[in-house]
Amino acid sequence: MSSQILAEVCQCVEGFGSAAKEGRWRTTLTIYRPVARDPSSTATSAPVPMPGDLPRDFLGLTLHDRPGAYFFILRHHRLILQADANVQSLMDKLQSYKARVVLHFEGFQYQLGDFMLRVGKCVQSHADTLRGIMMEVEYLPLSSIDKSRQIMEDFLDIWQDAVIKKSLPGQFINVELNFADYGLQDQYTPQHTALQYATCIVQLMATVRS
Amino acid sequence: MECVVQGIIETQHVEALEILLQGLCGVPKERIRVHELCLKSGPSLAVPSEIRLLCDLAQPTPSWTVRHVGGAMRGAGAEQISVLVRTMVESKVSNNALRFFYSLGYKLDHELLKIGFAFRFQRGAPITVTVTSANKMPKLHATDEAVPVTPGIQMVEITAPTAGDNYNEVGAAVSSFCEYLAPLLHLSKPGVSTGIVPTAAAAAASLLSNTGGKII
Repeated sequence: MSSQILAEVCQCVEGFGSAAKEGRWRTTLTIYRPVARDPSSTATSAPVPMPGDLPRDFLGLTLHDRPGAYFFILRHHRLILQADANVQSLMDKLQSYKARVVLHFEGFQYQLGDFMLRVGKCVQSHADTLRGIMMEVEYLPLSSIDKSRQIMEDFLDIWQDAVIKKSLPGQFINVELNFADYGLQDQYTPQHTALQYATCIVQLMATVRS
Repeated sequence: MECVVQGIIETQHVEALEILLQGLCGVPKERIRVHELCLKSGPSLAVPSEIRLLCDLAQPTPSWTVRHVGGAMRGAGAEQISVLVRTMVESKVSNNALRFFYSLGYKLDHELLKIGFAFRFQRGAPITVTVTSANKMPKLHATDEAVPVTPGIQMVEITAPTAGDNYNEVGAAVSSFCEYLAPLLHLSKPGVSTGIVPTAAAAAASLLSNTGGKII
């Protein structure tokens, strides 16, 4: 994983000829941890629930194209909450959960016909180490996931061929999500995007661990 | 942050108060029907905290807000002004907020249905006056079966946002406005009990007779 590989991925996109570079983008993902009570420190005789009942998969996201919104995801509970951006300030004041890790997905975006591509790196806040390389593909004419499924698959096939021809080490993995598990419908929304970033980071962490 | 004062008024005088507020504010009133759920952090969380989820039932589609009211400002500056200055943060949230905070370890402490009206206007500062009755529910979330907690008494609250560095000016604007309401009710910092104003009945009668009992 290196900046050189990222540069070559960008060249792959630019190699499509009609791709127009449109500037930078950034999505920020925060991993929260509970500020749990130490069960051994309680002075009462009443049993205190173990902190294990508190979620450990609590994520927050700011999307590049929704700066006024914030998304919370509880993966184990299959729950996504959308809020105003200032909900972060509210969570800070509660002091029940703290931000433990902040990751930035950032890079360049390209318009390629009816597609918007965002290619970027994943880096930890205040660190230079590149954690991963990701690409977001948006098909602009349709907002129905079912109706756009085939054209998205066709695009990904073309993209994988281009990457193979470049002989890049590694491969792009597309992890399918069942949005219905989170109560989301077929019409694509920013909540769908937030979930995909959450899945992306889980996949990244699993790959790093393996 | 916000500046806030509160007071109580007998329900029989609310119509007169509405007439007075209509004349002072010059804006139409907004209907209030808010299901308020007070959640407190559970025993697993180290720092006790409290939030309120507000479901606005007055709109065709209910909308949700989460609100956290923090501690009041302290010190000589706080004691010198007649309003309470406190931190307050609120955010619109999607309608699964209750399940979300349950999952984070929060528990329902109590719930109320607040019914009444509000006036939002500008007078030296953006000011909101709410007049509401607090209603409790005999069964969980049964808003249609809510009954008044204090029959015959409603609460009046005046709030105005402040950035923290202008609380003196905002507090003065709120205090100044409160003086217009003095014949009907006395407003003070939350927690400072003032009771019913003895002139309320006469003032209400005067207001109602002057307008023929009609709200224009």
